[in-house]
Amino acid sequence: MTVNLQINNSASPQARYLTWTPSPCRIRLTDPSGASAPLVNVTLTSRSSATGGGITFRKTATDTSSTSLSLQLPIDGASVSFFLLGRFGHPSVSDGDVSIEVRSDATVIGQMPVMVRIRKNANTLTPAERDRFLSAFAQLNDQGHGRFVDFRNMHTNAGSPQAHGAPGFLPWHRAYLLDLERELQAIEPSVALPYWRFDQPAPNLFRRDFIGVSDEFGTVTFSPSNPLQFWVTDGVPGITRRPFFNAVTNSANVISEAQTLSLGNRYTNFQDIGGNPHGFAHTSFGGSISSIPTAARDPLFFLLHANVDRLWAKWQRRFARFDWTVAASFDSNSSNPIGHNLSDTMWPWNGVTGPPRPPTAPGGGLAQSPCANAPGSQPRVQDCLDYQGRIDVAAQLGFDYDDVQLS
Amino acid sequence: MSSSAAVTVAANARRPPKERIAAMGKVTQAVCEKDSKLQALLNVLRNTNEPISVRLAALQALQAASFAVVQFESRRADYLATLRAVATDANPELRQRVLGLLAREKDGFAQQRLLEGLEQPEKALLPPEKALQLLSYDIHADAYPVARTIVDNPPNEEARREALRLLSADASSKPLFERILNDRNETKENRQLSASALQSIAPEAMQTHARELLLDPKEYDDIQATSLTALTQFGSAARLEKDEQLLKRVDSLRSARSNKLKQGARRFLTKYGS
Repeated sequence: MTVNLQINNSASPQARYLTWTPSPCRIRLTDPSGASAPLVNVTLTSRSSATGGGITFRKTATDTSSTSLSLQLPIDGASVSFFLLGRFGHPSVSDGDVSIEVRSDATVIGQMPVMVRIRKNANTLTPAERDRFLSAFAQLNDQGHGRFVDFRNMHTNAGSPQAHGAPGFLPWHRAYLLDLERELQAIEPSVALPYWRFDQPAPNLFRRDFIGVSDEFGTVTFSPSNPLQFWVTDGVPGITRRPFFNAVTNSANVISEAQTLSLGNRYTNFQDIGGNPHGFAHTSFGGSISSIPTAARDPLFFLLHANVDRLWAKWQRRFARFDWTVAASFDSNSSNPIGHNLSDTMWPWNGVTGPPRPPTAPGGGLAQSPCANAPGSQPRVQDCLDYQGRIDVAAQLGFDYDDVQLS
Repeated sequence: MSSSAAVTVAANARRPPKERIAAMGKVTQAVCEKDSKLQALLNVLRNTNEPISVRLAALQALQAASFAVVQFESRRADYLATLRAVATDANPELRQRVLGLLAREKDGFAQQRLLEGLEQPEKALLPPEKALQLLSYDIHADAYPVARTIVDNPPNEEARREALRLLSADASSKPLFERILNDRNETKENRQLSASALQSIAPEAMQTHARELLLDPKEYDDIQATSLTALTQFGSAARLEKDEQLLKRVDSLRSARSNKLKQGARRFLTKYGS
């Protein structure tokens, strides 16, 4: 007797990645030999190492999670649906470090390795996680000739009004990070974008074998085994970044996470995050990261913004601000510029150029994922709010943070 | 404290500097919304009688506000004009930060002053290494001659390194980088920078050099580790999987004394080994 499992309703190995959000899955009997009834009872459980990921099961998306799930599979091979999700607090550290096991009575009739792929604090990554991320990022940059050029060109003075200084700031950057993360995952599927908690010291991040160490003039140096030593943007190798704080022992010059989450329970108040801590995190340095037209030349930029996005996710959870039809979830104002209204498609993914949009639209549509159908190749602002699919399970974007629960 | 009140405190010279600096953390919204608030902070930045710590905090607050592009746009011209005025300030830290901001905006005034300082050191606003670094934000061929002069006759090692970095966008500098990469008398930093420059402007040549450097038993560990990283990240699998001489050499590096080499060898063999 054998079974076939599909994670995220896909046969692709690239789809075997989970978050805290329920992923739609299905199972069917592919060989019913030995079955004595039209339905075969099976039990789904998980097997993981001590440091491996944890998963739980649900019959429906809104069910209670359980460490095992009993199902009845028709012998005619028809599929049975269920949901799979990462167990909060137990993300994977490597690809396939947790497996689903399917048993009929005591016999294992199927298994499949999966990964609970979660965005983590960069300061806590294992060396292997760190190295996979750096390698994928360096390949995306490909010495200044790779796909990263588009991401660098999305974040310049020309495109900046689409992304900054208005309510679309947070949704635009959420889509931007997701696009980048999906491109990284196309290179190395086990990678999730880490975040830099700029309100805490990060000694393991500001090292020569991770994001680099700055000398007194702001030239960043890397260890010889770090692929970021081959980082090139705008035709120039290397990264300039001069911290105005001790990056190993201190936080950046920003307000704390608690203060950020207390900016207010309405988006109109919370969007002040754009100034402090966001703007102050950027300007806690000299060098590329401290100015809009050059910020995306520094890989740290993406870790900084992952933390801004995480803070938004935490705020959304605290005040239940996932539903774009709820006024307090966004700042819908008739004076919002184009690209900053809920129903607007966002540049550059919409490909629209010419005033009031920028003259070019680098990169094409937003990268697709085998793990999530949303937000589509031309996301709207409203598509970026319900990132965990709380309001509509189909709206989930396929990422989660290590310390932001689903419920 | 409201954002507007924070500007009032931050701009008040009678308040203690510590209190004013703390208030700077809350001024973004008011600076974006009211011209009078922006002008108050610009005045603090311009005023040479203000404590430098307060002026630097005002600069950071203005810079953070400039990230709010749509709201800040109508105030940008005043902001940039003030930065240009402060670019020649007596305080070197403030000068460096302001010239950096202007250089990243590709500001012609700043670029001209930086280039002028390299050509006529008595007019320099910044040390040559910093001026070269800032000029590299917007590479123009007119900076290449002075960069080449500094490579050949550097005032210090840092200036030479930054001159090399600036030249690494220039394809005609390939022979220079090949020479430095292969010269064991050059600093490790400059050789690594040359590897990076070559990988960008002449990737095929860099792959060939990386192979040769790895096969040379007298080569330094750091340069061999850089070579391994170049081959592992950007090499041709079809070619490297068949390169038995190289595979054998890398296999031997798995027991090297250097951890970087061991680690690099493991990654290389994971990707290209049988």
